[in-house]
Amino acid sequence: MECNIHEFLKRIIFGKILKRIILVLQTIDELYLNAKGMKYPIDPVKIEQFKSMREPLSLQAAIKESNRCLLCFDAPCSAGCPAGTDPAKFIRQIKFYNYKGAARTIRNNNILGSVCAFVCPVEKLCEKECSIKALEDPINISGLQRFASEYGKKFTIEPLDKSLKTKGRIAVIGGGPAGMGCASALAKRNYDVTIFEREDNAGGVPRWNIPEFRLPGEALAYDVKNLLSQGVEIKYKSAINTNEAAINLLAEGYDAVVLSSGLSVAFKLDLFDGFSNAVDYISFLRQIKTDNKSIALKDKNVAVIGGGSVAIDSAVSAKAAGAKKVYLVSLEHLDELPADREEINLARIMNIIFKSGSQITGITAKEKTITGLTGMEIDWIEPGKFTPRNARRISGTGFSINIDLVVQAIGTKPGCEVVNFAKNLKTKGKGTVEVNENFETNISGIFACGDVSNGGATVVQAVGEGKKTAESIDNYLKNRRNNQ
Amino acid sequence: MKSRADLSINFCGIRFENPFCLSSSPVGYHAEMCARAYDAGWGGIVYKTLGLEKSFKVVVPSPRLNAYNYNDKRFVGLQNAEQITDRPIGDNLKDIAWLKKNYPKKVLISSIMGYSDEDWTELAKMSEDAGADMLELNFSCPQMAHTFAGYKVGQDFHAVAAFTEVVKKATKLPVMAKMTPNITDMIPVALAAKSGGADAISAINTIKAISDIDINNFTPLPNIHGHSAATGFSGPSVKPVAMRFVSELYNSKELSLPVSAIGGIETWIDALHFLLLGATNLQVTTGILRYGYRIVEDMMEGLSDFMLERNIQSLDEIIGKAARKIVDPSEFETRFQVVSVVDDAKCIGCGQCYISCQDGANQAMKFDTLTRKASVDEERCVGCLLCKHVCPVWDCISYKEVDTLTAKHAAIF
Repeated sequence: MECNIHEFLKRIIFGKILKRIILVLQTIDELYLNAKGMKYPIDPVKIEQFKSMREPLSLQAAIKESNRCLLCFDAPCSAGCPAGTDPAKFIRQIKFYNYKGAARTIRNNNILGSVCAFVCPVEKLCEKECSIKALEDPINISGLQRFASEYGKKFTIEPLDKSLKTKGRIAVIGGGPAGMGCASALAKRNYDVTIFEREDNAGGVPRWNIPEFRLPGEALAYDVKNLLSQGVEIKYKSAINTNEAAINLLAEGYDAVVLSSGLSVAFKLDLFDGFSNAVDYISFLRQIKTDNKSIALKDKNVAVIGGGSVAIDSAVSAKAAGAKKVYLVSLEHLDELPADREEINLARIMNIIFKSGSQITGITAKEKTITGLTGMEIDWIEPGKFTPRNARRISGTGFSINIDLVVQAIGTKPGCEVVNFAKNLKTKGKGTVEVNENFETNISGIFACGDVSNGGATVVQAVGEGKKTAESIDNYLKNRRNNQ
Repeated sequence: MKSRADLSINFCGIRFENPFCLSSSPVGYHAEMCARAYDAGWGGIVYKTLGLEKSFKVVVPSPRLNAYNYNDKRFVGLQNAEQITDRPIGDNLKDIAWLKKNYPKKVLISSIMGYSDEDWTELAKMSEDAGADMLELNFSCPQMAHTFAGYKVGQDFHAVAAFTEVVKKATKLPVMAKMTPNITDMIPVALAAKSGGADAISAINTIKAISDIDINNFTPLPNIHGHSAATGFSGPSVKPVAMRFVSELYNSKELSLPVSAIGGIETWIDALHFLLLGATNLQVTTGILRYGYRIVEDMMEGLSDFMLERNIQSLDEIIGKAARKIVDPSEFETRFQVVSVVDDAKCIGCGQCYISCQDGANQAMKFDTLTRKASVDEERCVGCLLCKHVCPVWDCISYKEVDTLTAKHAAIF
């Protein structure tokens, strides 16, 4: 066959352009599809109008959505929920106009049911398993969950049964999702539960670090109220950080101690050490949530380092607080970001500038204040391993950006309280508590669940672990009684 | 290649450019509306029923409509407390004359309702004088506020025969008697109309029904100042009942009159169904109430394409083709039965077939929770096809015939 070099070149160039066009079209399509299910506007969000990422579902929308459900025999959505919320059941209840029943199902199965309805990464859990995906879009399960729990709140379903407190006394250290999930499940089993909470409010990460636009405060308040109605006592401002604190609690007469103190210390890059305008996401998000007037971001440029949900939360929060340019600098490329697609799309709509697949190489500073960052694009030496050591900088890709604030969102570890709980407590990795499949630590009577032992996961995962820990404690104490 | 098939019909000696007509209702309330319907493509109009205000003054109750909804699907059926026209007879006659003058090729059928022999005679003559092509006798309105009118006449064989005869004597126009479905057997009434001289039968008028109840105040709907009534129900919900009556009319050898079918027609497939069951002419109201006159475009185009694809030259070729297959259940061939077949590649694993077969059939469907696939135990399957009907994938479950000499079909315990 005759080879025509011009024709050959033309094909290559044309092919490349075509590929690019297709990529753009796919992106637009994807934006639209994701926006459709999640109910946030497709147009770039006007900052002053931006209130909530997931809006409530109206009665009409809930009826329509629940009628799309196939009411599967084996309900893969329910199997996909780490906390056992049982979406298959509450969707069926909504379909058959049993709205209060649906609200009961959510609340009884998941003490953080209304929080999860706002923050669950459903695309990776229940909705991922939805059977109807073979035919059309998955059921908007989180929307239906928001509708039902909202309904239960509005039309006041009867409170949960109070614990009779006829069984043992249990101390739970940390009133976040894992601690709440565990306490609720123990109260259901008639244990006398006390939560020791270091802050003046319960909720943990959802209370302090998940921005209001992702989780309205009243959702968490409702869930905490439900927990209290079970007769669980929460001791606020009760940090447990004395030596051998957990051992002492056992000695004081608690039958078991649950460690669910989460991860309180954020990792920081050495590069930013000593600079006043480099903060970590925990303090940044907390300040935004509790005292957003104290953060003056208007017309400021912000760089967020990291590619997970908290990085996006920080970036969007900064933008919503009035920042001019917000950069999201991550080692991971756009398709490798650990954040949920729903959040990534929100960040795009909010005009966050993605510096994905990039590494910070240096800073420019004026005394103790960072004024700019320099960086380079990277690729991976070994594919699929997203660590700084595995990154190879690509020459000629250097960039520099002007910055007024750096927010570091590159992970967390447990605080020093963990070593204080008990000096013989076995830990692993970055200091997380080691547990077996029954959430038992190496010390008899001490259990651990949630981020403090799993190293950081979702709210729904923490609630699920808390529930399982409660079951494990029940078995442990039953065995102890039988052996006595 | 032709782009449009010939949809014309001959009904009672009158040519209709297509079989699609408005049925007597608010959709044919006055000339301006009717003109727009003709412009949209409708072949004929049965004008809103005329009565004589000197005999009975019509006041329509309000609210007069209530929709029957199923889950998230609205307007699956419609209940109405409509009456015959409340416009003065003179205005309506002027409208009919105007329509015939401006749309000479379109058909106009005057629907009339009298309360006495004199009324029927007068209305028939007035309609003929105004230029109507045909008459439809309203023996079937299920909610007339008058004590002896509408379906009360339609349930009385003698009255039907007598009033038809009076009208036939008063006019040379073809006469069609409109039947009520609120009766066990329609044939004797249709035969009574025939004995009075009717040239055709139209069916069905609406079914007396209660569509909904407000559970907050225990009042059925439509709530007409605290009360309601079982009144005319129409729309897609009534189509199966209408199809039954139309096929019975067509299959009655003794009757042997052309049929104009009414009841839930919205699409060309609905229209085709009624043609196949023996209707020559088709009438629509609820579909228009819901979607407007424009639906006739899709009915004409769809039916035309169907005919061209199958090389059908005239609708006469298909009228009644399915009605002949309606037999008495005692005539069923039962030696060959069927068992369900699940297409593994199409099964999406929802297990709805399994649930329905477990709780509503013969526990023949199996569900593998590991592979999430359904399969049929042919030994147990009784071929009811419940599974096929509940499957969300329309072409996933089919069936095959088995010889009863080799297959077991009784419940096995």
